[in-house]
Amino acid sequence: MAVSKCVHLSGPWVKELLGSVDSVLFDCDGVIWRGDQVIPGAPEVINSLKNCGKRVFFVTNNSTKTRKMYADKLAKLGFNASEDEVFGTAYCSAVYLKTVCKLDGKVYLIGSNAMRQELEAMGIQTVGVGPDHISGVQNDWANVPLDPEVKAVLVGFDEHFSYTKLNRAMQYLFDPECQFVGTNTDTRLPLEGGKAVPGTGCLLKAVETAAQRQAQIVGKPSTFMFKCVASQFGLDPNKCLMVGDRLDTDIMLGSSCGLKTLLTLTGVSTVSDAEAHQRSGCPIRQEMVPDYYVDSIAEILPALQG
Amino acid sequence: MAGAVASRGCRKIRGTEIKELLESKHNLLFDCDGVIWNGETPVTGAPEVVRLLKQQGKRVFFVTNNCTRPRENYVQKFSRLGFTDVAEEDIFSSAYCSATYLRDVAVVQGKVFVIGCYGVQKELQNAGVTIVEEEGDGPDVSIYNCPLDPDVKAVLVGYDEKFNFMKLAKACCYLRNSECLFLATDPDPWHPLRGGRVTPGSGSLTAALEAASSRKATVIGKPGRFMFECIASQFDLDPERSLMIGDRLETDIRFGTNCGLSTMLTLTGVSTLEEAEEYKGSDSPEKKDSVPDYVVESIGDFLEALEE
Repeated sequence: MAVSKCVHLSGPWVKELLGSVDSVLFDCDGVIWRGDQVIPGAPEVINSLKNCGKRVFFVTNNSTKTRKMYADKLAKLGFNASEDEVFGTAYCSAVYLKTVCKLDGKVYLIGSNAMRQELEAMGIQTVGVGPDHISGVQNDWANVPLDPEVKAVLVGFDEHFSYTKLNRAMQYLFDPECQFVGTNTDTRLPLEGGKAVPGTGCLLKAVETAAQRQAQIVGKPSTFMFKCVASQFGLDPNKCLMVGDRLDTDIMLGSSCGLKTLLTLTGVSTVSDAEAHQRSGCPIRQEMVPDYYVDSIAEILPALQG
Repeated sequence: MAGAVASRGCRKIRGTEIKELLESKHNLLFDCDGVIWNGETPVTGAPEVVRLLKQQGKRVFFVTNNCTRPRENYVQKFSRLGFTDVAEEDIFSSAYCSATYLRDVAVVQGKVFVIGCYGVQKELQNAGVTIVEEEGDGPDVSIYNCPLDPDVKAVLVGYDEKFNFMKLAKACCYLRNSECLFLATDPDPWHPLRGGRVTPGSGSLTAALEAASSRKATVIGKPGRFMFECIASQFDLDPERSLMIGDRLETDIRFGTNCGLSTMLTLTGVSTLEEAEEYKGSDSPEKKDSVPDYVVESIGDFLEALEE
């Protein structure tokens, strides 16, 4: 019903918005926490939403943790949340490989142990995790022995990324039948303590350039993340709210799935970023304009507790 | 023909036509991989062609994006493969030109953080450009707290078989300073190895760093003009009397077009005649600029024309 967009959510609109949805999906970094620091009020918001009978989900592009690791972190920081409410790209990539790629074979994995665990939990065997350095002369490593059972290459965040891994991935990807999947395209990975390092998007660019192929992307803004949640919990997009801090991932995902969208300003994007998208004539950029924004998700607390 | 805009015609030529073309050109610029040699095997007739061209008073240059060897090693390779009288000054590699750029154009006062193999590092040393010492990082050093050198004024990325996440993260930190230069040796996404195999190229590493830093690298190698300017600053070259011979449409041929040279595709390397024809019909300006004037099966075909 709201025709206007990018409105500061305040006053009676908070209750109206919350009344119109039964599920709220939260991004994590920059929304409910920053590294290992909670955004003040965030646990209370999540817990109050649940007390009001809303369903709450956590949807993150970060591939470095399993659902269990996220559940542990959530619990430690005071959030009342369970494993099956968490949708990180480690887990979602495993689901994607099984259900979309219909994978029957192994995966050459550039990624974390968490990713390996999620894939194995889904019955998918992986090769490649961990350090893999150059050895011998060029003739040796140019002739990498390829595992014939590998039917897909999956790229996620990997602090052990190396030229050797890049080469192996490229060699596997010369077979056009070999599937190519990436967890996400974010170019920065936020760390505990507020720092950031180059993200998965950078590693993916290296592999895509060498192999001259584009990866299928699991993470936001790809709609798969929402479909993953929706199919497991029977969600109605019209009754869902997506809360995020990034216009190009969180809000874009929300818009393309027909969800209501709320931008919080405790992370990456700003109101003027959103207004710039709004002013542009470009249809794709319009998808990055949120319905509402708040300075922090704590702003919705009064409406929940009132 | 002289003075007219060359028709980007993809014209396959041999025999007399090659002879006429060579008579109108004083300077010949050859790419190396896929043109004069493949790995350690010279293209049949290539050493003889180079010898005859020089004998007939032509100036012959070698212009390669391959940054894996310093020029002194290239001289040895030429000799090993039967090419006589090829001197260091005839060779223009992307590593050599990157070093020249840093020293003479950017006039970098300070250190360069290099992501690059021995060939790149040696050329920088030869040019007197100071590079950051890459000590093997100790056990305490991680991607979360790596020490940075305050004197770094430029980042150069090229083919590096020791590329890893730490180097990417460090380079990204240096590039946060907008005053820090960002250079790449060449854009090649992959390089051919002997036996038809392929290895990831400088272009793939540069793509990672561009994504990480949200900055675009200044690319020294073909199809950029700098390598030609490098040659022209040392030798007097008239573009109209120069011919670029290469095997990769997007780099060699586009380079030739960008510099106002006539261009010739040889079919002993990466690109095919079909690709060239496809580019001819394309609307994209980059593809149009990658269409060669002439095509030969191999530069061995020059022998017929030169031996008469």
